[in-house]
Amino acid sequence: MKRAEIEARVLAQIRRGVDVSPDEESFDGLARALFDHQYRHGEAYRRLCRAEGLSPDNLRHWTEIPAVPTEAFKQARLASFPAERTRRVFRTSGTTGGRRGELHLDTLAVYEASLLETFRAYICPGREKPRFLVLAPSAAQAPDSSLSYMYDFAARRLGADEPRFYVDAQGWQPERLLGDLEALSGPAAVVGTAFAFVHLAERLAAEGRRLELPEGSRAMETGGFKGRSRELEREALHGLISESLGVPPERIVNQYGMCELGSQFYEPSLRCGIVTRVKRIPPWVRTRVIDPVTRNDAPEGDVGVLVHYDLANTGSVLAVETADAGRRIGDGFEVLGRWTGAEPRGCSIAADALLDPT
Amino acid sequence: MRQLEALRSAGRGIDAPRRIEALAAAFELWRAPGSAWPERLAARGGLFSPAVIERGIRLGLERWTAAALAELRARELEHAGQVPGVTAVWLAGPVPGAAFAAIALPLLAGSSVYVKASRSDPGAAALFAESLAEADPGLADCVALGDDPGALVHADAVVASGSDASVRAVREQVPPATAFVAYAHKLSLAAIGPGADPGAAARRVALDVALWDGRGCLSPAWVLVRDSGGAEAAAFAERLASRLEELADALPRGTLDAAEHLRLREWRAVAAARGDAVLHPGDRSPEWGVSLTPAGELPPAGALRFARVVPFEGREDLVALCRKLSPHLSSIGYAGWPDSLDEPRAALEAGGGSRLCPAGRMQAPPLAWRHDGMQPIRPLLRWVDVEEE
Repeated sequence: MKRAEIEARVLAQIRRGVDVSPDEESFDGLARALFDHQYRHGEAYRRLCRAEGLSPDNLRHWTEIPAVPTEAFKQARLASFPAERTRRVFRTSGTTGGRRGELHLDTLAVYEASLLETFRAYICPGREKPRFLVLAPSAAQAPDSSLSYMYDFAARRLGADEPRFYVDAQGWQPERLLGDLEALSGPAAVVGTAFAFVHLAERLAAEGRRLELPEGSRAMETGGFKGRSRELEREALHGLISESLGVPPERIVNQYGMCELGSQFYEPSLRCGIVTRVKRIPPWVRTRVIDPVTRNDAPEGDVGVLVHYDLANTGSVLAVETADAGRRIGDGFEVLGRWTGAEPRGCSIAADALLDPT
Repeated sequence: MRQLEALRSAGRGIDAPRRIEALAAAFELWRAPGSAWPERLAARGGLFSPAVIERGIRLGLERWTAAALAELRARELEHAGQVPGVTAVWLAGPVPGAAFAAIALPLLAGSSVYVKASRSDPGAAALFAESLAEADPGLADCVALGDDPGALVHADAVVASGSDASVRAVREQVPPATAFVAYAHKLSLAAIGPGADPGAAARRVALDVALWDGRGCLSPAWVLVRDSGGAEAAAFAERLASRLEELADALPRGTLDAAEHLRLREWRAVAAARGDAVLHPGDRSPEWGVSLTPAGELPPAGALRFARVVPFEGREDLVALCRKLSPHLSSIGYAGWPDSLDEPRAALEAGGGSRLCPAGRMQAPPLAWRHDGMQPIRPLLRWVDVEEE
């Protein structure tokens, strides 16, 4: 199957929405066709697959597709098209000062379709059009940030008017944000990074203020708390957002995503009207929770490492192994923190963190 | 702290010859052929296989004899300064020999020791104290184990090992006037020069990699191999892989936790994606791995028996690679410089290291090693200068 045909089928699946899941056979067929393409056209990925002894010729099921650790996106070009066809490169935030992971894209069609479908389903489930206030830079301001691209793209298509961004060339703009929040007359969607929400809440607390956003407003936050328990911090964060903005907890959504993936995962709180920490998996994605020792699926409820098989990753690699611990809950999963956050057992391993050699 | 007062009293009246004799006897208990002590340590369920513990301790303590202890004491306590009554020793890391040395050195000086065991090796310190009791119960009374941070305040000297962050945290609790010796985490490497016999060098480096499963500061995180364009590094990587395979049976790797399994898989996958040559036995949780990176690049440190072979062209290259590690380099295990060690020595100095030793002996530092460039005992002592009118 040629890539154009694979993409057409993936797009068709995405357009069916988040509630229509393909049967196992058709997901398997599409995933293996995409793997075949990525193996043949992605040099770095082919090397990795060969090292694991797997190729399209001996692969029996999509669960055998070799997953690429996110670290590899920092050290190799994981694309299945020639470099000269690159249209966009998204980079990880690189907060530790080391190399940044890169997602190379030659087309944004599938990427945009995927992000829009899930964003709409979980942030504007009733097709409402809130005003978007974005606690992050615009795509123009941060062209290599996948997060900014997502907010910018989705907010322009789903919002009541032009989205407003509160991180610009001069940095974080809390005055302007607070002014706009206070002037709201209709439902708003306040979206941004977890850290930005913390800054906003601290600012309001320092001034002894508490806002009451108009009815129908919602908040969406994303981004982690490096090396710490995400869910514990998340409870506190959502409490903080609810308290400072006057948004009910069931209208606050966490999104889990990463630069290396074309698709994102959301809590369905706004769709269900209840608070939940379980992330929903889009139908064009499969997420496995893998036992790190046996590499088999962990039983439901047991902790394992999250590995995503994302058909929207047409131009790079569809199977991505995260550094996140999680557990399967029904059809979704819960994110528990980072495996690599554990204390290394041995000084040579701990000391490696001191260095940024290459 | 009452416990520290008891330790101070216990130490009085135990003279140097008795201390030397007791420590030498305790070391002998551990390294004697068929000794039960390494087995007892293995039975406490640490990170390492019994074979690694037995071989590592036998090699590591090989030269820790009464003569070596006496010579070290004479050297360090010449023009004797004031010996601390009690030294608090905060241990880190999983290698038992490091715990033994950290306890033995203050005892040798004449101090008593309050020990906080390492979280990754809680058994070694306690068992060493027990072996000391077998050798000389009186000297064993000079050792107490605990984790009371009050000891950091009330001890006369403090020795702390660990990550930069943990050492900093300990230092903050120690009164400014107390003698404080810190050993932060460091990394080591092996360097193979142009005159090496590749087969013999690979065998020795494999032992350095396998002992303590690459977890210690003295484990070679990289194996730098002189390569003049004749694929010498690639050939060495193959030999090293063969030797590691042999050792997988003789010295099996110990237990890995989930994060370590993930890390090893990530190292193999990333190296393969980068285009590095990767050798490993092929099963899902291989006992060992060897990667070969292009010249000039320093990949992330190898550990857990995943060896990183890196080619270098000549002296400048070697020195430049080691300079990237400064000031975190500890030791270089060398092979292949039969006439002069100037080249590896220059590399060691560029990285801020303090020990150049033959490959195969990286895990056997002498007691007298000036660890991190510091005298082993003298930083604990205090001198008095008297100026005449």
